[in-house]
Amino acid sequence: MEAQFKSPHAIMLRYGLLSVLAFVVVCPLAWLALASLRPQSEIFQPVSEFGWSTFVPSRLTLDNYRALLASDFPLAVKNSTFVALMTVFFGILVNAMAGFAFAAFDFRGKNLLFLLVIASFMMPFEAIVLPLYVMIRAFGWANSYQALIVPEIANGMVIFLFRQFFASIPRDFYEAARVDGASWLYIFTRIAMPLSWPTIATSGLMLFLSQWDSFFWPVVAASNPDYAVIQVAIARNINFEQSDWGGLFASTNLAVLLGTIPFLLIQRFYVRTLISGGIK
Amino acid sequence: MISSRWTPFLFLAPALAGLLIFRLVPIGIAVGGSLTGVSLMGDLNFVGGENFHYLLSDPQFWASLKITLWFNLIINPLQLAIAFGLAMLVFRPLPGLWIYRALLVLPMAVSTGISAVLFGLFLDSNLGPFNGFLEWIGVGAQPFHRSQDQALYTLIGIATWKGAGYWMLFLLAGLYSIPSTVYEAATIDGASGWQRFRYVTLPLMRKPMAFVLVADTAINFLFFAPVYILTSGGPGGATSLLMFEAYRSAFTFSDIGRSLAISTILLGIILVIVVLEFRLLRSPEERS
Amino acid sequence: MGWPEEQVAPLMKAFKDATGISVSAERLPITELFRTLEVRLQARNELPDVYLVDGPLTASYAARGHLLALDEMLAGDKDRFLPTTIEQGSYDGKLFAMPLGTSSQLLFYNKKLFAEAGIDVPSSDPEARMTWEELLPIAQQLTKPEISQFGFAFENANPYQLLPVPLSKGAEVIGPDGLTASGYVDGEGMVEAMSWYQDLYQTHKVGPVGTFQTGVTQEMFGSGKLAMIIGGTWNLVGFEKFEDLDFGVAPHPFFEGGRAVTPTGSWHIGINPRTVHMAQSQEFVRWLSTREAMDLWFDLRQYPPSLEEIWEQRADTTFVDPAWAIVRHELANTATPRPPTPAYREYEDFLRTAMQDIQTGANVQESLTRAAQNIDREMRKYR
Repeated sequence: MEAQFKSPHAIMLRYGLLSVLAFVVVCPLAWLALASLRPQSEIFQPVSEFGWSTFVPSRLTLDNYRALLASDFPLAVKNSTFVALMTVFFGILVNAMAGFAFAAFDFRGKNLLFLLVIASFMMPFEAIVLPLYVMIRAFGWANSYQALIVPEIANGMVIFLFRQFFASIPRDFYEAARVDGASWLYIFTRIAMPLSWPTIATSGLMLFLSQWDSFFWPVVAASNPDYAVIQVAIARNINFEQSDWGGLFASTNLAVLLGTIPFLLIQRFYVRTLISGGIK
Repeated sequence: MISSRWTPFLFLAPALAGLLIFRLVPIGIAVGGSLTGVSLMGDLNFVGGENFHYLLSDPQFWASLKITLWFNLIINPLQLAIAFGLAMLVFRPLPGLWIYRALLVLPMAVSTGISAVLFGLFLDSNLGPFNGFLEWIGVGAQPFHRSQDQALYTLIGIATWKGAGYWMLFLLAGLYSIPSTVYEAATIDGASGWQRFRYVTLPLMRKPMAFVLVADTAINFLFFAPVYILTSGGPGGATSLLMFEAYRSAFTFSDIGRSLAISTILLGIILVIVVLEFRLLRSPEERS
Repeated sequence: MGWPEEQVAPLMKAFKDATGISVSAERLPITELFRTLEVRLQARNELPDVYLVDGPLTASYAARGHLLALDEMLAGDKDRFLPTTIEQGSYDGKLFAMPLGTSSQLLFYNKKLFAEAGIDVPSSDPEARMTWEELLPIAQQLTKPEISQFGFAFENANPYQLLPVPLSKGAEVIGPDGLTASGYVDGEGMVEAMSWYQDLYQTHKVGPVGTFQTGVTQEMFGSGKLAMIIGGTWNLVGFEKFEDLDFGVAPHPFFEGGRAVTPTGSWHIGINPRTVHMAQSQEFVRWLSTREAMDLWFDLRQYPPSLEEIWEQRADTTFVDPAWAIVRHELANTATPRPPTPAYREYEDFLRTAMQDIQTGANVQESLTRAAQNIDREMRKYR
């Protein structure tokens, strides 16, 4: 594979494929981004008039973005960012520990517990929203950041992800450290975690996006305007009577661009880790 | 391995406490609720298996179950295959690769609901640029989600557009945890590119692939927002996935018992399928 | 509620100034409004104190014990409101939700496209109302597929917009008990009316098929790609963003030999019987029913008022506009509320699906029969 990918033809082919795929993926978003720069009255072009004008605006305007700045959108971005970052921080810690326990230990009831972890993300959220809402109110958390953050920290899917990757670290590693007298906490923080940067980065991204995209729960649990999150601010542009397409496109565009920043930051973790030399 | 009996539970405690309170207890309540009926005035009464019994005799339930299974039979392997292909494409270093990676993952920052709204407009038969393009190249406008034949596949397309880049990341992380020495050894042994992929890469990717397949299956069985936003289960019931039936029962028909029964059945189906998927992707050592 | 901040905040402030009670409003996006409200109500606790009720859902909430009867509180006020609005807010003979406003639908037409085609514009006089039979040839003349121009469309494919079609033919759209669909939803009159509707889109091809969003038909009309649209008064504001659009209004058409029927009904406000702020909640609703509050509300949000007084007070100013003159006539003469059934949500959900399927070409009789069976199945629990 290494050899093949180095020949100039193979490199051309790879660039070609990547370009085509990226174009397909980006096309709807590019249309959205360009439309968000149009004046309100020109956002849509009829099918029969397809051409450059379908994508390239005749006149550029930042009106839609200016209107966003004056609305509660900046507050929503702030709220979503805060909620997402808190979830990422605590979520990585808590779920990585659990994933480690499933991968590194043998203990009674392990399979049953793991089944429960898996089952935790298999029930429709709509089915548990009512008990969850009643619970949050009983805790006195309605309309608070806790309501948005705390229930989302422990995440079965993230635990599962960590388990899968920790399980690929050979147990010899741990045993050698145990023989040297290391505590399990030491092994977790100094051996397992440093070997798992791509996994930590990916799970952080998962947790971030789970909050960045969340919509129904924030509306139910914290509908006070002070706690508006980004998806709620976006959805406000859609209405029965009339929809503010410009506002919808501009806010969605910003949400996509802002939501991609974490990926750009963690990209450098997608490299071979030390473990590469270790597995035999 | 030498360890105190309680060590694993100390590691598990924070996450399990969170899952227990905020997921498992509500799930228990919901499963219990599937055995009850709620009167119009909110009084709860135990009805046993009546909700399930009623579902089994309801043709709408069977139609939805069929659509749900068909939807998942297509979408899960499809997304896994595309995600794997993408991961292979963006794995080895290449100048400017980070730009391609960033472009491929852009859709994951679009929420599912908004992606439905976006595609509703993008594919609109009168104002949508995609139909403009199809007319322009001579294929002619397509009804997409407005057609009984195309609606389900349009939804699959939208979900795959959003999901492929996301699942790619997990497989990419998996590829990076395969030691390069393994490849080098295989190359020295004279294995061809395909042989290395088939006998080295694929077996070592079992765990990441199991993760993607299982997580994706759960997400796609619970796929909902685009049905609600774009098709409302139509046209002609072509997209009435079980999840949408559960939603309608709870929030439109005030029939919580039916809704929770459907949700419980969904949970059961997903668990069974996931167990099968685990067996499928088990390594030879685990099999013995 | 799903309204913009600038429409709601001044109203809350005025209430605070008048009574010293401050209201904290929760604004929910419209797409999640009903789902979220259901979670709140099904939790059956003291929140929300007061909430907005979509007129036709009054019966649904009242039948499930989610609304406080307002008869005593508004005993002397009922006849200040337009009769249809009180009808919509009532269930079982009792008023449960106070009407904050109402709605009506008009025929909007693009003056430029009419002039280009050399067609006389429809009259704005309700007495000279156009028939559907007269509208069709005009719509056909104004349909030009080669430039994606359509002649006519309803702004949306909801029962709200479309029920006047069968009603104008004299069809009954629900059983007299409000809990029977078979024989009505799939009755002869309904099938005939919906076949006519399908023909508009499928045979005569004068309307854009598959467009079920007010926001999208609005764009088509605004950009001159749709010559006529039946739409709500909200479009009077909605069309403002199209700088090049010059439009006129005419009354809702009817079938020759049938009667004129127009949709009506809008948002109401109701009190949660479990509220712990009963006195304040009642005061809030009572204050909203005052002329001052309703007048301010109309300034903030241009919906047809539900109070007679506002119509009279503004008769020589705001309502001299032909659009408002038509709306006033319709509300007094032709407005027909949606069926007062506790199963309206079920009724609307299935009927909307059928109407959309019919527009995109599904078999009319089969779609309506399936809808009727489904509605009847879900209505059982209310009997």
